[in-house]
Amino acid sequence: MSELFGTKYFGFIASSYGITALVLLIMVVWVIVNQRRFRRQLAEMEALGYSRVKAAKSGTVDGE
Amino acid sequence: MSISTTTDKTDNSAQITARPGISALANPTRFLALVRVVLPFFVLVTIALLAVGLWLGFSAPDDYQQGRTVRIMFVHVPAVWMAMGSYMVMVSGALGVLVWRHPLADVASRAAAPLGAAFTFLGLATGSIWGRPMWGTWWIWDARLTSFLILLIIYLGLIALWRSIEEPARSARMAAVVILVGAINIPIIKFSVDWFTTLHQPASVLRSDGPALAPEFLYPLLIMGLAFLFLFLTLHLMAMRNEIMRRQIRTLQRKLARNRKPTSGHVS
Repeated sequence: MSELFGTKYFGFIASSYGITALVLLIMVVWVIVNQRRFRRQLAEMEALGYSRVKAAKSGTVDGE
Repeated sequence: MSISTTTDKTDNSAQITARPGISALANPTRFLALVRVVLPFFVLVTIALLAVGLWLGFSAPDDYQQGRTVRIMFVHVPAVWMAMGSYMVMVSGALGVLVWRHPLADVASRAAAPLGAAFTFLGLATGSIWGRPMWGTWWIWDARLTSFLILLIIYLGLIALWRSIEEPARSARMAAVVILVGAINIPIIKFSVDWFTTLHQPASVLRSDGPALAPEFLYPLLIMGLAFLFLFLTLHLMAMRNEIMRRQIRTLQRKLARNRKPTSGHVS
């Protein structure tokens, strides 16, 4: 590790890369979790007979 | 069970009209099909660029003044670039909402905001960590740092605005106006190091007379910049797809609620 980050400023360099990795990971997880949640909800709605295809083709991204 | 789009006047500003051209490209179904095709490519490019950028970054020699802390630059500067780049995506979206009433414009802006806020936070955090050993302080209220903090506040304010207004067309227009007003902060951030006395160093890459960095530092930085760009594009496309699904769910839930009303016994 000292090869990569040095010894004098190890804490500063490692924490910079650490916080970057953490925030990027949180962003990726947030997007994927939302994607799964919305897909599940849409599947449940479709099971009730409400089609998202109709919502999408109906002409708005709001689907209104 | 069809879902009409023409009878509900609350969201009719976002409707796709019969106009050909750009409206055809705005069709969510076509957009989602495009995302399905390009997303795997973007993911692979992002991973490859991150791997190469990190390898080059950690192979770079120590700077003669900053020593090994120069390696913080390879995550700090790309984060700052993407923080401002995300805002420019939102500015494009705001123009799309107000000028062309593009159906995906508000979706693009809204999806970019949390990503931009995250990159701005990263820029502030890594900059603060870099500043401590180089400047001897974690924070100073100079023009560059303060204007960048304002950018984070603008992002958070916009996210709050979108969440606080239920009616989509109204929130889209209000957010678009705020985005355009807030855009004045972008050149202030960029040129603050030239206009004001600040601890922050002047621009060393995007300069009229070319980059001032040595190639050993410039190439890893540019590759990490590209990696962050593709990461943003990947996450932005996914977030836009999520936002489209969220709006479809909202529409279907409202339709479901309307259909349930006659049997509920309540008189509306």
